[in-house]
Amino acid sequence: METRKNRQFVYIALFILIFLVYTLRIAHIQLGPVPYKKMAIHNALNKITLYPSRSNIFDRKGKLMVYSTQMYDLSIFPHQITSLDTGLLCSILEINFQQVRFLLDDATIRSNKRQKNNSYNKSAIFYSNLSNGQFALLRENIYRLKGFFIESRTDRQFSTISASHALGYLGETKEPNAEIDNYYQAGDLLGITGIERFYEKQIRGIKGVKTVWQDRTYAERGAVHDTQFNYPSVAGPDVTTSLDIDLQEYGRLLLNGKRGSIVAIEPKTGEVLVFINNPDYDQNTMIGKERSTTFKALLLDPQKPLYNRAVKGTYPPGSTFKTVMALIGIQEGVLNATTTHGCGGGYRLGSITVGCHAHGGPLDLRGSIRISCNSYYCQVFRDIVDNPKYGDIKLGYAALEKHLRSFGLGRQLGIDLLGESKGNIPSVGQLNRRHGERWKSSTIISLSIGQGEILLTPLQICNVAAILANRGWYYSPHLVKKIEGYSDTGWDRKYKIKQFTTINPLHFVTVIDGMSDVTKPGGTANGTGIADIEICAKTGTAQNPHGRDHSIFLAFAPKDNPKIAIAVVVENGGFGATWAAPIANLMIEKYIRPSLITSKPDMEERIKTSVIK
Amino acid sequence: MDIRIYNKTTSKIDSIVVFFYICLIFIGFISINSATSVVNQKLYSFSPIAIKQLIWIAGAFIIVLSIVFSNIVVIDYFAYGFYAIAIALNVAVLFLGKEVSGAKSWFGYGGIGIQPSEFAKIATALALAKFLGTYGIRFQGFKNIFICFMIFLLPMAIILIQNDTGSALVFMAFFLVLYREDLPGFILLAAVWFLVLSILRIMSEANGISSFYGYGILLGLASMVVLFFRKDKEIVKIIILVAVLSSLFYTVVGTVYQQILQPYQRDRIELILGLKEDNKGVGFNLQQSKIAIGAGEFWGRGYMQGSQTKMGFVPAQHTDFIFDTIGEEWGFVGVLIFLLIFFGMLIRVVILAERQSTIFGRVLGYSLASVLFVHLVINIGMTIGLIPVIGIPLPFVSFGGSSLWAFTLFLFIFLRVDQVRK
Repeated sequence: METRKNRQFVYIALFILIFLVYTLRIAHIQLGPVPYKKMAIHNALNKITLYPSRSNIFDRKGKLMVYSTQMYDLSIFPHQITSLDTGLLCSILEINFQQVRFLLDDATIRSNKRQKNNSYNKSAIFYSNLSNGQFALLRENIYRLKGFFIESRTDRQFSTISASHALGYLGETKEPNAEIDNYYQAGDLLGITGIERFYEKQIRGIKGVKTVWQDRTYAERGAVHDTQFNYPSVAGPDVTTSLDIDLQEYGRLLLNGKRGSIVAIEPKTGEVLVFINNPDYDQNTMIGKERSTTFKALLLDPQKPLYNRAVKGTYPPGSTFKTVMALIGIQEGVLNATTTHGCGGGYRLGSITVGCHAHGGPLDLRGSIRISCNSYYCQVFRDIVDNPKYGDIKLGYAALEKHLRSFGLGRQLGIDLLGESKGNIPSVGQLNRRHGERWKSSTIISLSIGQGEILLTPLQICNVAAILANRGWYYSPHLVKKIEGYSDTGWDRKYKIKQFTTINPLHFVTVIDGMSDVTKPGGTANGTGIADIEICAKTGTAQNPHGRDHSIFLAFAPKDNPKIAIAVVVENGGFGATWAAPIANLMIEKYIRPSLITSKPDMEERIKTSVIK
Repeated sequence: MDIRIYNKTTSKIDSIVVFFYICLIFIGFISINSATSVVNQKLYSFSPIAIKQLIWIAGAFIIVLSIVFSNIVVIDYFAYGFYAIAIALNVAVLFLGKEVSGAKSWFGYGGIGIQPSEFAKIATALALAKFLGTYGIRFQGFKNIFICFMIFLLPMAIILIQNDTGSALVFMAFFLVLYREDLPGFILLAAVWFLVLSILRIMSEANGISSFYGYGILLGLASMVVLFFRKDKEIVKIIILVAVLSSLFYTVVGTVYQQILQPYQRDRIELILGLKEDNKGVGFNLQQSKIAIGAGEFWGRGYMQGSQTKMGFVPAQHTDFIFDTIGEEWGFVGVLIFLLIFFGMLIRVVILAERQSTIFGRVLGYSLASVLFVHLVINIGMTIGLIPVIGIPLPFVSFGGSSLWAFTLFLFIFLRVDQVRK
């Protein structure tokens, strides 16, 4: 009976063997190189993005311009979808079977990509921007759509539609937008143009995260309390712009039916008061569900409503440029208040004639501005560039160019918008290429009256008006005054630097006296002035090789202690005095006396109702 | 053996085994509680399933007390009777039982179910102990061996018909018992040989290798050994017999594998043999189980912190895969302590079995150790990917009344037999 007693040790040995094998195997799993713990955490945690509200944006008087609203997306956990009631989805979203398939595949790909990047968020947006009707239907039926859930984000609502080009619009990211940073997930909204784009990093706020436990079916199983995994979203800070909504809306009304821009700046701060282009677009069509269709339509519109003329459009400044030319002449010592030049209805120089309109007698400097005499400025221009003290016209021209650039011309002014044009102030090199090496003052004589290669944006023209108002200096124009909570970050450093022109402030006196005559009897814009407001202005009629002349006007008011500098460009409007001057003067009146109705109702009525084809 | 009435309590119930038993029950209970708890559940509150387990545990203690304090233990007298009842119940369940996850092995009364196959193990052990205690394994040569085999192959077959492969496989444990009782070693050797053959055949089938290679190798091996022993006619005869049987078996395995096994069963086997990599379907459970255990690392993630098990990534996290909770929450340290407790219990039971004065007691002890051992090997082996996923509980630890009560019954009947040994 006891013959097999030794076999008990076979048992014990077998136990020990299995114990060792299993222990080693478990040690290999638990202490080995495979990051199982990471995989487990990745399995069970789902990070839900908490979308912050974008900044509310206010005008300079604290009126709300843009605010955030809720927007709803239909999102999915692709792996959770086992069966799908395609018919239900089709009928709610009003799409067809193929589209459902496409959207599903697309969302799955995005979700997988996220998983590959080790993101804890396994969901993907299936259909964004649900309409109110869709949202209501889905909320009732969501239980029938396994794997689907409704996510909310914030969208925009505009309380004014008058500042579309300044504020800009939002768009959806398709890919994580590396251009800015890696903050975005596909489908997130971000600013595409305007202030929304320029201050995107501040305006978007900070996304929050809510981490939850999720089980194998991706169902939520409660919050993870560890603060390391949870942080609330932070709404974008309140942003105060320098714009004046009332003035924006008024300007938009005046520009109605005309192509062009109105830009106004507060001279002593560089704050942009008015920033209007026409045509523009209704920003409230660029939100929610309609965003992409509206965008496509606007992009194809031959009127180019998305085109930001004020900073991208470049125009020859025409006679408005004479103010600058006069200042440079004085600074260069070739011109003073008493300098007179005759005009025989035009300036003849060999084969070239620069025409001038009929006006009486030789003019002094003040009169030349009032009358806008071309001959006078041809002579001034020649005196500057042919100045014997330089000996060579190219040196003389270089001196002129240097002065011009100090006015912020031929370069970006640094406004807080992307895509600002530099305009053009031709360099010596550019003139060489254009006219050959042997050009003379007569070759480039049209520059004297703001024609030829000289091109300015409406913003630059306005900035010239601001420089005139300040008698020789400016701040870079900017649209944003204040970002709540960012006062110490130095975001506005470049808007606090006073930039000086090369012109002595004393030289401005006569030029400005001339400008103050422009809207008075005998001035080129006679009849457009506003009683009791001393407006200093200059008309411009820019020759346009593509069609009718552009009507241009720059002005500031009042003459002493100016509050507003303004530039108006009306494309194909003809004389500066016809359209641009009344618009600018009405705007000035509105700004300086906001509570009163206009003293020129007839002029206002004419401007509002006129259409220029 | 004579019919005897155990009425003496000269020595005490073995306290070492009882200690291990209580440890395992406790580990099981807290693991079940953790695996079924809700997120952020308070440390000292219990999930509904844990409370249910508490009721099962209370029932188990009643069983323990009634065994320990029963003055008359006539267990070997009624051994065959128990066996007959167990067989009858297991047959009855085929007709009257309800189906749970594909296996028709439960008697259900409302929300509570009883699995008769769990109790068949102890009944079989008693019957085997009784038979061997009476006749001994070699008493009448192969006839007795055949009867011994039939005693455990009969319930095994019935349970297979219930479609509860896991529970049926456990009856293989009785091979080990017979080994201690002088079962010729070559039978076990043959079993190992046939296992190797099976694995080879499955591997070649899965890889699409022609079976002729297998036959060729068998023939080659046999020829070489025959040449080596050509002087000894007896050995040559045996070798030829083995070769023929092996070839036959090799053919049968191939046929069964291809024609009888379901695709999912083939998948499971191939997955374990490393012939297939699959982290989505069948492999998902295994992969999740490994992630759970692996996530425990050295010290574990902490009690109630096991997200893999709690969040249901691991299937059957409170029943068959309860070991994952131990691994995930208590880490390598916890696993080591657990294994030491379990193997400690096994070795202690073998020691107790060896000190029995009767064959009945010894066979009962070895049956207990072997059944526990096979459960442990299969259950833990499957969670760590060494054995195909076969659903059987981890004794004393997994959630469930039938398993707990049956093993408690088994354990304490043996301890009581040990207590009153001469």
